[in-house]
Amino acid sequence: MSDHGKPTDHAPNPDTDAYAHESELEAHLQTKRMVINMGPSHPATHGTVRLKVELEGETIIKIDPEIGFLHRGFQKSCENVTWTQCLPYTDRLNYISAMMNNFGFLNAVEKLIGLEIPERAQYIRVIGSELHRLTDHLTCVGATGLEMGGFQPFLLGLEFRELLHDRTAELTGARLTTSFGRVGGINRDLPEGWIEKVRKTLDRGEELITEMDALLTRNRIFVDRTKGTGIINAEDAIDFGYTGPALRACGVDYDIRKTKPYWVYDRFDFDIPVGEHGDNYDRYLVRLEEMRQSIRILRQAMDTIPAGPIIVDDWRIALPPKPEVYGTIEGVMSHFKLVMEGIQVPPGEVYDSTEASNGELGWYIVSDGRGRPYKVHVRAPGFPVLAAVPHIIEGKMLADLIPTFDTINMIGGEVEQ
Amino acid sequence: MSRVLTILTALVTIVVAIFGGVATAYLVGGLVEEHWFTGASRLTNILFLILVFVMIIATLLTMAERKWSAFIQDRMGPNKARIGLPGLKNRSLGGLPHILTDVLKMLTKEDFVPAAANRFMFNLGPILAFAPVFALFAVVPAGPSVNVFGNRVDMVVATPDFGMLYVLAIASLAVYGTALAGWASNNKFALLGGVRATSQMIAYEVALGLSLVGLFLAFSSVQLPAIVGELGNAVGLGTGQAQYLWRTDGAFDLGLPAWGIILQPLGFLGFFAASFAETKRAPFDLPEGESEIIGYFVEYSGMKFGLFMISEFVEVVVLAGVTTALFFGGHHLPFGGEWLASQPLMQEHQWLFGTILGTVFWLKVVFLIWVQLLIRWTFPRFRYDQIQSLGWKILLPMGLANVFVSGALVLWDPSLRALAIVGILEIGVLMVLTMTRKESAEAGGAHGAHGGAHGGHDTHGHGLPAGAHAAHGLPAHGAAHASTH
Repeated sequence: MSDHGKPTDHAPNPDTDAYAHESELEAHLQTKRMVINMGPSHPATHGTVRLKVELEGETIIKIDPEIGFLHRGFQKSCENVTWTQCLPYTDRLNYISAMMNNFGFLNAVEKLIGLEIPERAQYIRVIGSELHRLTDHLTCVGATGLEMGGFQPFLLGLEFRELLHDRTAELTGARLTTSFGRVGGINRDLPEGWIEKVRKTLDRGEELITEMDALLTRNRIFVDRTKGTGIINAEDAIDFGYTGPALRACGVDYDIRKTKPYWVYDRFDFDIPVGEHGDNYDRYLVRLEEMRQSIRILRQAMDTIPAGPIIVDDWRIALPPKPEVYGTIEGVMSHFKLVMEGIQVPPGEVYDSTEASNGELGWYIVSDGRGRPYKVHVRAPGFPVLAAVPHIIEGKMLADLIPTFDTINMIGGEVEQ
Repeated sequence: MSRVLTILTALVTIVVAIFGGVATAYLVGGLVEEHWFTGASRLTNILFLILVFVMIIATLLTMAERKWSAFIQDRMGPNKARIGLPGLKNRSLGGLPHILTDVLKMLTKEDFVPAAANRFMFNLGPILAFAPVFALFAVVPAGPSVNVFGNRVDMVVATPDFGMLYVLAIASLAVYGTALAGWASNNKFALLGGVRATSQMIAYEVALGLSLVGLFLAFSSVQLPAIVGELGNAVGLGTGQAQYLWRTDGAFDLGLPAWGIILQPLGFLGFFAASFAETKRAPFDLPEGESEIIGYFVEYSGMKFGLFMISEFVEVVVLAGVTTALFFGGHHLPFGGEWLASQPLMQEHQWLFGTILGTVFWLKVVFLIWVQLLIRWTFPRFRYDQIQSLGWKILLPMGLANVFVSGALVLWDPSLRALAIVGILEIGVLMVLTMTRKESAEAGGAHGAHGGAHGGHDTHGHGLPAGAHAAHGLPAHGAAHASTH
């Protein structure tokens, strides 16, 4: 007979034992961490990025940003097309400020060739860049308000952005993917009466920015949510490779437009706003002030833009004018060679950077002397910014993730090329 | 211009509709008292007050909110739905047909239940969220008690002795709906939302009750009809909020009424903030927090989601009603009420008098709803811990202090005049504080520690008011700073 029902030595059972054991009284409550999956389709993720968040209560213990949902093979695609044909690909990097990518890429190619573009073209590039810097910052500041529950700043920002898109469309023919500019200058001049329209747009825009400012900057709830959250100090920011507004909010006065002026930026009188704490509020303020400075630059540029050619007069680089193509054999041949073989960029490599809306947009370009790039690498300002998110946010609250993610303004398109 | 006309037409329509509704309620009440049994008017009040007024206002509110937010945000708002009847074919009717399309959409959508959800609890959630908020309105008097066809008709469903305590008790029940919805969905985001909702609502219950104690002390009652009070007449003075603190002598009564907002401004602030938190709307919409955790109702679809949404709007209406009854004199006019009541026409047709005061009540409710919409569409969302510290560290001590101060003042001067003087002083101090805060912020920059000022050349080419610009407090580095780092 087996001894069924006979009491054996069990581990202590708190349900049946009369008294709990000492160790059980002092044991911590068993809690489990919750892993939630924010994205790739989540209201707070601009573009498509997935955040694996490990929560304890509302505190973020661990966060793992996962990119790759917008990967398009930008670098490889560029190797298969001519230099000019790379332009439409660059539109899709930071799709909110496409012109800056266009011009940055062109600038790097021109540097590799050793080409000086006409003055008027440089002015137009400045104007286009600053227009799109405005667009980008408006989207960022507006979305920051939106995702914290204030819908109105977003719509104010979008109204200005819509006006700017109209101006962009008049200038480039497209609202978003501009593909504007060509190696050696600009492919089309400013339209008739366009400058006046832009002046009006900027007047309205200043009102709208002031209104956004009034709704957010001194709003107690907004200040409470953003001030002292998402902090990164200057040292860490530099270590992570921060550039642009996110770095300047930490107190580092670094803007390529000032430190290494390109085009005609050294002719304009403008300030670089610099923050102090490196928190969300400073990043917001820096962006807000940069918009005002962009408007300043735009006004000065439109006042002083000189007349003259908009593209270099060199048929090995720029397409010949249409009458020449149709009328002369040299024109036809240049056109054919440029279209079929591409611009013959001398062999070599170059790194060149411009100040895009979110930071240093760097281009490492290698040419082997054929008409196509041998290698194009982009240093996207959004990538280091995103990489630092775990460093910034771990140990903070879930609700802090939203303004942080907004104000660092990571753009899916450029991070995932 | 046409927009102004539209708004004016809408306002007149609202007044006329409310007047008609209240008149019908009184007359039907009088008829059933006459033909059925004494007290039958309370039953019709259920129909009229809760189903007609609260429900219809809440339904219209879905559209009003969208239209009003559109006006705030410089948009047109919904205007595409049309009714294909002759004469109405190409009119947007202020977007009203959208209410029908919304209902159609909600009712015909798939009623989705997640596979892993607890079906019973999942279905119970919206019901528990919806039902209590309706029941809340039962104790709120929406008009005076008058004689219609020789029978006394009250414009209230029930007058239990525990009055406001009933409101507080039932309001706490609503949290079960959200908590269940969050838990039963078996979704992590919903669970987070449910947890947030539970802790937020429980935290604010305390402040909610405490902020009203001062008012109970002042009127020595927790019953809403007693707090609203009755008008004075030849025999006696007014009671509750219908009494005057100071008044002119004469047939036309003009004076400072003893409204709750004058006696208890701090209590009003606390109550309004706390009950706003109970409605779970922005800036207290953390349980929803659509950009963070999507909300406790993330798994609900169709009309079940619709129930959550409409219960939010019903809460808005009920909150406005309760606030009106407690702090804005209920259905009483600020002055001239006694004069109006003594008119021969009003004496003869008391239902007319009741209807006028009932209309006043609902107009006050509509105004308070509008204030809530304004707040809803102006402020961003709090953070989870900030909302808790607002509830426990600001509203709760404020409520406690208010109770002691009010109690002492009521004891010292039962005529409530001392309380009113302190109340007016409090309002003044609050206004001054608000003004000075703003000015100092504009002068020095809200981000105090930032300090820093713009360079002298900074205003060049800006076209912006200097004040607005200096408010940034961001040290802008001049063009001379060309050094690299």
